[in-house]
Amino acid sequence: MKPFQRYLKTIWQIVRKDIRVEWRGRQGIPVMLVFSLLIVFLFNFALQLSPELQAGLTAGLLWVSLAFASTLGLNRSINLERETGALDGLLLAPVDRSAVFFGKSLSNFLFTTLVALVLLPIFGLFYQQNLFHPALILALLLGVGAYTSLGTLLAALSIQARTRDVLLPVLLFPLALPVLIAAVEASRGVISGQSMGELQSWFLLLLACDILFNAAGLMFFETILEE
Amino acid sequence: MTLTKKPTALIVLDVLSVTGILGLLVLVLFFTPVEATMGSIQKIFYFHVASAWAGMLSFLIAAGAGIGYLSSRRFSWDWLSLAAVQVGVVFGLVAIISGMIWARPVWNTWWVWDPRLTTTTIMELIYSAYFILRAGLTTPETRARLGAVYAILSAATVPLTFFSIRLFRTIHPVVIAAGSEGASFNMSPRMQMTFITGLIVFTILLVDLIWHCYHLSKRKAKEQWEIK
Repeated sequence: MKPFQRYLKTIWQIVRKDIRVEWRGRQGIPVMLVFSLLIVFLFNFALQLSPELQAGLTAGLLWVSLAFASTLGLNRSINLERETGALDGLLLAPVDRSAVFFGKSLSNFLFTTLVALVLLPIFGLFYQQNLFHPALILALLLGVGAYTSLGTLLAALSIQARTRDVLLPVLLFPLALPVLIAAVEASRGVISGQSMGELQSWFLLLLACDILFNAAGLMFFETILEE
Repeated sequence: MTLTKKPTALIVLDVLSVTGILGLLVLVLFFTPVEATMGSIQKIFYFHVASAWAGMLSFLIAAGAGIGYLSSRRFSWDWLSLAAVQVGVVFGLVAIISGMIWARPVWNTWWVWDPRLTTTTIMELIYSAYFILRAGLTTPETRARLGAVYAILSAATVPLTFFSIRLFRTIHPVVIAAGSEGASFNMSPRMQMTFITGLIVFTILLVDLIWHCYHLSKRKAKEQWEIK
């Protein structure tokens, strides 16, 4: 087998393992989903949203609830490996560590995207909008991709600290700010009917974040987990 | 633990920084003209921009030292990186507070969601998390290694943050009309001279403070962990 094929296979094995664990335990995605809905309700009362206001805020609400929920998933994804000692096993495996990063990052991406896809019709129902727009899906994929790859990297960093669970959001939110700004603006633009040409710079910014954070994972994941 | 003698270069830097700051104060108070529209509050500008510059520079030094640590694994790079973040956070705070004091009479508010202001504050939050991260780690080696990765990652995202906030404001120009303020007054030669002096003085001060913090970290490391 060619080295690159083996690399892809390693990534796939990790993703398959994570999907299997999730399927058998069902402890990640449901928690994220319920948590994100709770945030929506919390915001609804905390900010006293009126129907006219809500329309403009849909994109922001969607991303805030997704970002918070995703943090839970990211923490869980890496804690699962640590608690069972599986992380040591993964690190002992004779594979490139960056493949482990892409595998974990990809499964986090899949789970968060799934939550996002369930949230979309619910949001559409709550705020009386059709949110299944191809450009919005593109913004979701790009935004979630950048967010979860940075999150996977920082989760690997934060589990090594004594303060592990509380540390991740403190590290992740400020660094992920460009992703969130660009994702919210791109989604808001799509929802309010702006053309792709007008929103081009936001999509490019999201793409830049995707490239930067995945490159950072490729470079630093090995360094973060070495022992 | 024996006391090592303070290096002569550091003593020279100490003297230069103190006289530099005093000299800059004299220049700003007596040499520069009073700006026509803003009045004397504009004079805070010399200290404000200089400390923002020093803050940015030290975060860049922190990232550079992070790269140095990861490639050589020598703890001296880590002490430099930590010292640069410590000093940078203080300079950043000085820049924000001096900016707020200036904004109160000029923009008629303490706080504006202007790109530079917001980016600087987020930068402060990012680097506060650096200390939280280090505090949670137990060995000097992990502190140095993960600290280096985080310092590099942070320096890489700051431009993206600035760019995204700026783009956010250009698309919504009505939100803040005064957002592009700052470079919109012309500097006279005297102002320019003082401004450049300020930048030089603050750079000297920055090097001096980083050096001091570096020595502190070094001594701490030697006492606590017995690193050579």
